[in-house]
Amino acid sequence: MKFKYSPMDWVFKVVTAAAALTIVVIFAGILVVLIRESSPAIKAFGVFKFIFSTDWDPVKESFGAATNLFGTLVTTFLSLLLALPVAIGIAIFLTEIAPSFLKGPFGVAIEMLAAIPSIIYGMWGLFTLSPLMGNHIEPWLQNTIGKLPLVGILFQGTPMGVDLLTASLILSIMVIPFTASIARDAFQLTPAIVKESAYAMGATKWEVVKNVVLPYSKLGVFGGAVLSLGRALGETMAVAFVLGNNHQITKSLFDAAATITVTLANEFTEASGRIYLSSLFYIALLLFVLSFVLLTMAKLLLFKTGKQESPR
Amino acid sequence: MSERTRKIESALALVLSTVAALVGLFWLVFILGDLIMKGASALTPSLFLHNPTPEGVEGGGLKNAFVGQGLITLFATLFGVPIGLLGGTFLAEYAGHGKVTRTISALSDIMISVPTMVVGTFIYAVMVKPLGHFSGWAGSVALAVVMVPVVLRTTENMLRLVPWTLREAAFALGAPKYKVITQVVYRGAITGIFTGVLLSIARVAGETAPLLFTSFSNNFFSTDMKGPVASLTVTIFQYAMGPYDDWHQQAWAAALVITLFILVITIVGRIFIKLRYGNK
Repeated sequence: MKFKYSPMDWVFKVVTAAAALTIVVIFAGILVVLIRESSPAIKAFGVFKFIFSTDWDPVKESFGAATNLFGTLVTTFLSLLLALPVAIGIAIFLTEIAPSFLKGPFGVAIEMLAAIPSIIYGMWGLFTLSPLMGNHIEPWLQNTIGKLPLVGILFQGTPMGVDLLTASLILSIMVIPFTASIARDAFQLTPAIVKESAYAMGATKWEVVKNVVLPYSKLGVFGGAVLSLGRALGETMAVAFVLGNNHQITKSLFDAAATITVTLANEFTEASGRIYLSSLFYIALLLFVLSFVLLTMAKLLLFKTGKQESPR
Repeated sequence: MSERTRKIESALALVLSTVAALVGLFWLVFILGDLIMKGASALTPSLFLHNPTPEGVEGGGLKNAFVGQGLITLFATLFGVPIGLLGGTFLAEYAGHGKVTRTISALSDIMISVPTMVVGTFIYAVMVKPLGHFSGWAGSVALAVVMVPVVLRTTENMLRLVPWTLREAAFALGAPKYKVITQVVYRGAITGIFTGVLLSIARVAGETAPLLFTSFSNNFFSTDMKGPVASLTVTIFQYAMGPYDDWHQQAWAAALVITLFILVITIVGRIFIKLRYGNK
């Protein structure tokens, strides 16, 4: 008997294949278009010179990415530093401590935190968190940690609430749910039998988490952290309100700064002049490449953890 | 270490973890509570029924932004969902587990997390600059670009959950493959796919960055997608940064509406998944 073959079959296959390829086309398109648009700036400023130059002068048409990269990297890493302990704590709470009737609702609550759009975080940051930081928390930090040698330098200046610290705190709140849910999934991959063996040897709950669960899931947790870095890196609206768009490399966490995304949000539509606009495309290209590298790393790490559990 | 100190250490660590969980909860309550308190008072019928008054004049509403946001999101869904759906179908049904599938899946996962701001600059370069003006279409396409990878990945995953025996049964009846997919496989995965679409709408409805340089904003009521169209998110950005208390009020109200919309969709999506696939 011969298989019934319909020409529709061929059509459907081609159409779906084309749809799947759109992803590749979009990705390549973004890369090509950004390179094309930034080529005047690449020609004018080069690559390394652009990355390390702190110039950002629309009047003299001299641009460099260093101030933007500085703000982006500081807020990104600081936010992860603030988020990671909380996220891991939440993951431990969800997998080891919470009674089962709490797990569901609490998981939903964390998911809701992830679903709130970034513009809401930004606006809340501007009207609520920023005054709170400027009037209460930052002066307090200045009077305590700010008095210490070495780290004290990070807490100099007038606390205004519109600065690196506030922006990083908002970013960290946004990143907590992502990191926590990936860490939780990684924790859950630990085979129950390994944990039970540890309990049988008289280990306390914390010892099981510390010596069994964490070592078992460290790749996954690390992958989640890198993924969150990638997220924080490209976040725009949450920081656009509270960073001040100040093109300077600053010493203190109480200073305003600029990230790539904030610069784009504030200056893109106003950019006059070919080189100015082209430089903005150039920093967008840097952001795209940077986040691609980070996300690929995260993907590979998480892929490895996925593999690790499969043979069992 | 003595047993006592080990027990104390364990208790301490568990308390700290619980505190971390409470910190997460605290932020949620803080943000939502603040949003409801400040937004609810400005939530009047005129917010939905009137257009903005000239700058500095009290009153008016955001009818233009509500309608504009609806239009932009609607067209983004119409562009993005079919592409994502068909793409996911290809990966799950035709491409197997080979290199092509893995590359495209991985690329989609990366695209899901790529800064949406970059998507905005991309669409600006290919749609706004050549035409010389901002347009609602450009905004919709930008959101569609954000949507495609989300829909594609959920569709792929949901289709893979449909058991092979179901397909084999249909093949045995002599159905061609496209019929098996459209009439059997899709039906088995419909709840999951629908939820994926819902969640992708929730995802783009709150996006601001891709709209800033594409649909831009418009102080007047306009349904002309060929020109700049107001959106809620960009309006919130403008109003919150603006100098007037009246603007801030309206921005809070708009923020409350959009957040409630997104949270409701997210929770409905979760309930669907739970009903269909059990406790996960």
